[in-house]
Amino acid sequence: MCLIGLYVAGCAHPSTRYALVEDSLRAGDPLRAVQIIEQSEREYGSESRVLYEMDRGMTLHVAGRYQESNTILDQAEDEVERLYTRRATTETKAFLTNDSKLPFEGDPYEQTMINVVKALNYAAMGNWTEALVEARKIDHRLNVLTDRTGPKEGYRDDAFARYLTGLLYEIAGDLNNAFIAYRKAYELYGVQSWAHVPLPPMLRADLLRMTAALHMTQEHAEYTRAFPDVVWRPYEETKELGQIVLVSHDGRSPRKEDRMIDVPVSLDALNLVLISNALGHSQRGTSPGRQATDSVLYGLNGHVVRVAIPTLVPQKSPIAYGDVTLTGPAGSFQAHTELMQNFTAVAERSLSDRLAGISVKAVARAVVKYSMAEGVGRGAQAAGGKDTGPLIGLIVGSLAKAWAVASEEADKRTWRTLPDEIQIARLWVPPGEYELRTRYIGRDAAHIGRDIVKIVTIRGGQTKLFSERVLP
Amino acid sequence: MAHSDRSAAGRQLLSSAVIALAIVPLVMVGCAKETRVTRVDTGLVTDLSGRWNDTDSQQVAETMVKEALGYPWLDNYVKSKGHQPVVVVGTVLNRSHEHIDTQTFITDLERELTNSQKVTFVAGKGERDELREERREQAVHAREDTQRAAGKEVGADYMMKGNISTILDEADGTKAIFYQVDLELIDLESNVKTWYGQKKIKKVVERKRMLF
Repeated sequence: MCLIGLYVAGCAHPSTRYALVEDSLRAGDPLRAVQIIEQSEREYGSESRVLYEMDRGMTLHVAGRYQESNTILDQAEDEVERLYTRRATTETKAFLTNDSKLPFEGDPYEQTMINVVKALNYAAMGNWTEALVEARKIDHRLNVLTDRTGPKEGYRDDAFARYLTGLLYEIAGDLNNAFIAYRKAYELYGVQSWAHVPLPPMLRADLLRMTAALHMTQEHAEYTRAFPDVVWRPYEETKELGQIVLVSHDGRSPRKEDRMIDVPVSLDALNLVLISNALGHSQRGTSPGRQATDSVLYGLNGHVVRVAIPTLVPQKSPIAYGDVTLTGPAGSFQAHTELMQNFTAVAERSLSDRLAGISVKAVARAVVKYSMAEGVGRGAQAAGGKDTGPLIGLIVGSLAKAWAVASEEADKRTWRTLPDEIQIARLWVPPGEYELRTRYIGRDAAHIGRDIVKIVTIRGGQTKLFSERVLP
Repeated sequence: MAHSDRSAAGRQLLSSAVIALAIVPLVMVGCAKETRVTRVDTGLVTDLSGRWNDTDSQQVAETMVKEALGYPWLDNYVKSKGHQPVVVVGTVLNRSHEHIDTQTFITDLERELTNSQKVTFVAGKGERDELREERREQAVHAREDTQRAAGKEVGADYMMKGNISTILDEADGTKAIFYQVDLELIDLESNVKTWYGQKKIKKVVERKRMLF
């Protein structure tokens, strides 16, 4: 019983860890967030090595330790590649316990984000050549994903990642590739209605700027007809100015919880499940205490099969946009951040794409575990002999069934240090020294938090990228 | 009946013991030392991940420099000018899908050019800055008869520059990586491209989906 309690209690760590990380980020202390992740390395375990590297890489990015972040994310990328090859022993072990025993490789959108964060790291360091390497990797990764997935699946490409590659190509002067990436982003924002991201206004201006610079008269005319009111600046003009790119990571990405489905296989068991549900109504369905109680009761009853399915809990950001102002000798320049990526929507779609497969596997696992527990009980009864056999069989069988219930758990691992949304602002300004001020505005039009202020010096033709993490 | 039950249970216990004994060596193997270090010849081809590696860098530099110096432009230059051409290595741009340390490749090119003894090789931009700084410091701190004068550098006749690019194709765990290294030798006076070389490497990386 103690073991069952420990087994269940052992799963409580991640929520505490992420709460501490979020508190540190909210308090403006990202280095503390890095420390918390690093100190939890053993808690992640070998199965969640990639998740540890993702979390550490992201917190290092927020802390401005870009080179270290890249080193860690390189390891995550290599590990994901290595995990393409699955091991039969690991798959069997996970099938007999739960999916969280499988090595975590992340959903495709999380794998894409490894390269996106690396690209942002290089860009923030002003290393555009290496940022472009990441842009090419993103392009390749998304092409492979599109080939691999069926047309019914939602996440087959990534509008935001495509947009970011376009931005990087444009900064490097590779206008043709920039146009192709912007056009792909434009098409994706149009068709992926489930992503809940309207076409960003800046993308319209980018398409007009690129088609004009590349003398693509037909495409330029089409975009001019499609966006008649968009004011855009010619590429030749932007080359003379300095560009500020602000990437804002807002809020918290969704977390996953267990949804337990208890299937009674007798009338007694049905009553027990109903009573347990009524008693546990006031408690959270996945609390360790509730799980331990259920395991003991269902184990003693011996006729309840438990199936655990992951469910997503959104943690929507209250931020509507960031108001970005650059003030310097040449004047004051203003822009709003625009929504580019909605991770809550992407995670929801990603889970719903995989839910049928997860459910079938969970049911099959529950049936196998129940049958094995039955077998163990009967085996123990036979081994115990005529006198003590029934008692031993009852005890061993109950323990085995309690373990079968207690070990049932959905795979709730997800890259939780990602934000809820990514928003971007781009401003072109004359060369000089500026005060860069970002004021975040909530969905209720009220200011959120304190203004973030930096002093920026920019040359003509230069681009500076800044990354901000906002957690109200 | 009870006897047969007991003997069946005994067999179960025996088989459990056999399984346990079989698992122990496996666990012990699992605890064995995982890291093993072996010294190998630097010329040995070590393709581990399929990425650009030291072997690629060395082989491409060697082949391309040999090819560049085997073309008639070199003899023509020596005949018309009466001395070896002076060459400097410029930028080798990474346009690939990998983070390649192009400086290693540039160093390999410089070594091959210097050791060929067919061209005079001068220091590149980064090194020149350091050397000039040293001369400036000599002018202030060194004894007059040991100072090296400024303005006596040998100007290069040609610059070797280029880029490394890749084309990737991947499906079902099999990845084809196609590297293309383009190098060109440009006359610094006329901007005429004297030589253009290309070296291609193709690698196929196959990964199994399931390991038993």
